[in-house]
Amino acid sequence: MRRTAVAATALALCATLAATSCSSSSSSSKGGGTFTAILTQIDSKAPINPYNQSTNSFRGYNAMMLGWSKNTATDPNKFYPAIAKSWELSPDGTKLTVHIQPNAKWSDGKPVTGDDLKLSAAVAYAEGGSAFAAIPGTAGGTVDVKVIDDKTVEFDQNATKPLNTWFANVMTMYVLPAHVWSAQVPSDIWDTIHTALTGSAADAKTAQDTITALGKKLIGWGPDKDVSAGPFTLTRVTTSEALLTKNKNFYDADKIAPSQVVIKNYQDNSTIVNLLLKGEIDGSVYVAVSQSQLDKILAVKGNQVVSGASPVQASLVFNESKKPFDNVHVRRGLAYLIDRAQVTKVGESSSGKASPYPAGLTAAQIQGWGVSTSGLNAYSVDTAKAATEFQQAGLKQAGGKWTLPDGKPFTVPIQTTSDFNDWTSGASNVAAQLQAAGVDAKVTASSDYATYLADLAAGKFTVSWWLTALGPSAYNIYQRLYGAANGWTLGTGGGVAHSAAGQSGNWMGEAESADVSGLGTVNPGELTNQLSQVPPDQQKQIVAKLAAFTNDQVPAIAMWDYVNQNFVNTNRFTGFPPNDADVLRQPQGVWMQLGYIKAKAK
Amino acid sequence: MRNLLVRLAGHLVRALVMIWVVATFTFFLIRLMPGDPVAAQYEKLVQQGMSPDAARNATRLTYGFLPTGSGWDQYVHYLWRLLHFDFGRSTQTLGVNASAEVLTGAKWTIGLVLAGILISFALGTVLGVIAAIRRSSGVGDALTITGSLFHAIPQFVMALVLITVFTVIWPVFPTDGNVDILVDPGFNGPYVASLVSHASLPALAYALSMFGSYLLTMRSSVISVLGDDFVLAAELRGLTRTMRLRYIARNALLPLFTIFALTIGFMFGGAVFIEKAFNYPGMGITLINSIGHRDYSTMNATFLLITAAVIVANIVADLLYTAIDPRVRRGGEAVA
Amino acid sequence: MVTAVEIPTGNTPALTPARRGFWRNLWRVLRRKPTRVAGAVIVALFVVMGVVGPFLYPANLPTDPGNAYAGPSGSHLLGTDFQGTDVLALLVTGSRYVLVAAVIAAACTVVVGTGIGLYAGYRRGGPDSVLMRITDFIITIPGLPLLLVLSTLWKYSNPLTMGLVLGVTGWGSVARAVRSQTLSLRERGFIEAARGLGLSTAHVVRKELLPNVAPYVAMNLLISVTVYIYLEVGLFFLGVLPFNENNWGVMISQAVQNGVTQTGQGLAYLLSPLVAILLLTLGIVLLVDAMDEVFNPRLRED
Repeated sequence: MRRTAVAATALALCATLAATSCSSSSSSSKGGGTFTAILTQIDSKAPINPYNQSTNSFRGYNAMMLGWSKNTATDPNKFYPAIAKSWELSPDGTKLTVHIQPNAKWSDGKPVTGDDLKLSAAVAYAEGGSAFAAIPGTAGGTVDVKVIDDKTVEFDQNATKPLNTWFANVMTMYVLPAHVWSAQVPSDIWDTIHTALTGSAADAKTAQDTITALGKKLIGWGPDKDVSAGPFTLTRVTTSEALLTKNKNFYDADKIAPSQVVIKNYQDNSTIVNLLLKGEIDGSVYVAVSQSQLDKILAVKGNQVVSGASPVQASLVFNESKKPFDNVHVRRGLAYLIDRAQVTKVGESSSGKASPYPAGLTAAQIQGWGVSTSGLNAYSVDTAKAATEFQQAGLKQAGGKWTLPDGKPFTVPIQTTSDFNDWTSGASNVAAQLQAAGVDAKVTASSDYATYLADLAAGKFTVSWWLTALGPSAYNIYQRLYGAANGWTLGTGGGVAHSAAGQSGNWMGEAESADVSGLGTVNPGELTNQLSQVPPDQQKQIVAKLAAFTNDQVPAIAMWDYVNQNFVNTNRFTGFPPNDADVLRQPQGVWMQLGYIKAKAK
Repeated sequence: MRNLLVRLAGHLVRALVMIWVVATFTFFLIRLMPGDPVAAQYEKLVQQGMSPDAARNATRLTYGFLPTGSGWDQYVHYLWRLLHFDFGRSTQTLGVNASAEVLTGAKWTIGLVLAGILISFALGTVLGVIAAIRRSSGVGDALTITGSLFHAIPQFVMALVLITVFTVIWPVFPTDGNVDILVDPGFNGPYVASLVSHASLPALAYALSMFGSYLLTMRSSVISVLGDDFVLAAELRGLTRTMRLRYIARNALLPLFTIFALTIGFMFGGAVFIEKAFNYPGMGITLINSIGHRDYSTMNATFLLITAAVIVANIVADLLYTAIDPRVRRGGEAVA
Repeated sequence: MVTAVEIPTGNTPALTPARRGFWRNLWRVLRRKPTRVAGAVIVALFVVMGVVGPFLYPANLPTDPGNAYAGPSGSHLLGTDFQGTDVLALLVTGSRYVLVAAVIAAACTVVVGTGIGLYAGYRRGGPDSVLMRITDFIITIPGLPLLLVLSTLWKYSNPLTMGLVLGVTGWGSVARAVRSQTLSLRERGFIEAARGLGLSTAHVVRKELLPNVAPYVAMNLLISVTVYIYLEVGLFFLGVLPFNENNWGVMISQAVQNGVTQTGQGLAYLLSPLVAILLLTLGIVLLVDAMDEVFNPRLRED
């Protein structure tokens, strides 16, 4: 027993030594040809199907869309060309004509044609693509797709209630190879889609069910061998990494410097930071790190950070169905007590900037939408103002502690989740600040995000962390505060209906409308819904109005705006995009397509 | 031999019953878990810039993979599929077989666990014998206390220390994953070497946190055997020291099989800490991810596989016990 | 899960200890090695810390974000955490939750395990089969994964629930071991004699059997405490437990997530709870070593 074990140990040791020597030699031979990226969680069993939540079809690398969004704060309709070289949108926004890249080819040499787009649209109906919904009322809007010629396709939107988000949604459609996928899709799929959209109620229902069943079948399917129109093709996947090789047939192949790409598993932050500290990562998606980690990472040769604004904001949201948080003065008073700069320093020191105004918008969005900041209250820390607000709400101060009108202690239960360290740290700091000001605050962390979200939606929390200002479109931004979570759901005929707190997913429980001096009576849900239907100049006015309303009513106290920081390494590649470039929210595969990332001259 | 077969049959029947009990238990337990598998997917899409309506449309499909009907119907359906070795479809990687997901992870866990157990078993038994023989000297004491301490050092602490030392301060081992993807897979030198170098640290973490219990068990077992009559008799009969040691070792090893079996089971379930720390894509990671995504099918499958591993380990240990220990072989009752 | 508790005698029956002179015996054995006294002192210190500690500090510890991750200094003996709170204060106030939960879990394990083991071993037959199947179930069901699932179900707002949940998952191996000891004790002369004298079952179990398994049980109690601290802190470290108050596990988790292992900044913040756990473990190990000798004279070579 003993002898064999010793032998086994020795064997392992030898192999280990061999491995370390071998891996160092292989890394020197691969030179600047391999680009190592951190993108997402890798699952070797996942299909090569971009619609699957875990997929081996990586956007920007071997999964292509019609266009790449520039994520412009004020105009979600700005796109870089991808499979679509150019496009025209009719003035009323209901007809989109797309011209396919003339040189676009699949990795097996076949050209990308209009039929590919038409089949891709059919798959999008089945899989729940943004602009394609077989069940009206959810989203969608596309009613027909026409192949004009080999390289031209027309998309038509439902003309009765056109949405201004439709164009962007069509442009983010994944383009799939028809010659690979068509065997999976029934040939009469378009008849079924048309029936689902326009048929009699009973026929439509049957057709919708057929499409749903098809979606269920397709979602787990993917070709055995990757056929890609993107700059790379999947070569193999292990349980923790994916290897992609350059696609010689890509229409802009000469722009693509790396001969292969390794995508590492995004399992947790600390592994990624370790990899960054070794200087092994050429490009990462957003990674949250502490200030000291950031310093250490940047001290490694070649490591740099490329950062830009991110339409994501961390806020404390009130459940206004719980007393006394239904009282606007209580919410304002709390806003006056919290030093958001300090919370940001503790919670998100390196990749967060304290939000300047609680208005439902990030600093960049406020600027982008031209919202006048003179009318906005910054709620700078001011205990006197807080006291005035609290007194207006009937709270009393006794022995340095605030109590409710009935004499019970005024407690603020703050909920966070142990999944997000920045929220947890920030929450402890908020609690410490409130305690110092005589408000009894307490932090509780849910075990994980799934539990958190479920309990949140069930209205179990009082004050909770929540991402707000999620753009890029103005409609998306304010949907976060005045959407389903606050009781406003899409009704029939393009309007919204409001349901009471605790019903239909309404956990914020704000009043349906409120009087705000200078604005009159405002129904924020109505206004938000209008954002999806009006042209940009009118959106601007509505955004300003909603910002003022949010700033006055404080349904949420914005803590910090996230900074989108991508780590890159210049030892092997150069030519990364500058800070604040509009491609930063896209994966590095897209950066390459747009001419960034060049091999470093030896 | 016939005795052994009867014993095996009995074990198998009990094992099947146990698997059914565990399957039932986990089925209902998992359905009690709060959390909505779709909510997190939805949040992720919205965060990526998708409009709320579009995200709702995109996640609609996931509902098709969630179980419907009453709890009882679901349970019957679940058992029926289990009989056909169908564990259902994953909701995390939509539509993919849960069993495929779990088996992929299991492959890697088994490798790690076996390596860890072998190293720790060898280390523990050898040191245990020394600690027993030298129990009144400083060496014995030191060994015993070291064993107890290493046994008590939490696995995640061991992992953290190893990671910090061998991948950050002195980077001789890879930080994450199970194999370098740039190496061509197959049975070739570089690939095997890459596998081993990736598995070394996690296996070492296992071994270091496990050898203590072998050491302590072996020590007390050897001590109690030392006092047994047959050892005295052997001594009187004038058997050589080596012969006596073999006598002692053979008898002292017996109780270790119990703990050995338990360890295998424990390591399967306990893989979570080490795999998480080393980002090693085994069953523990599969389990954590499936819990995070509320992927019921994958969770069920992982639980069952871990349970089955424990049961099989127990049966094997008992059969080994029967084969080795004459007292049990004669029909007495096995302790384990 | 609690394989640690297998430490004692394996398949050899427990030896009858000198019952009356337990404390005197313990003291004598303790004195024999200074390390054992040290062990006892360490354990005693931690007990005091858990009982008195939280009263020494205000309910809400002061913060100072300008002085985060500070190293040890005169004003902060163990440095500060991510928002400048004194680590020593965190360590002391955080000890109660961890210790209470671990002690409750260990007590739960030992009481349930011993009770079931004794009863099953003594009664044999039907009750034995039923109880042992339940025990098999508890042993078979993977403990850590089970806890991962349970962590989403419970709120763990106080150490009591935490301890109970931990304890409920871990009594299997104690029950099994106590049963097999009881089975073998049952065949010994003195139990036969007691039964022959017509003494009640309760009497036999309480007066004859229990004292004989007590050493084993006592050592299990101590060792279980360390195992449960490790488990509990490990779960907090994984970040899978909901929490609403400071404790060692949360400290480690926060320190690691804030990158202390990578940057070295705030090392005292990470090391303090770790060292506390190791120190407590060491204390218990040393104490168990002494008890082992009290109960198991064979370990002595003289």
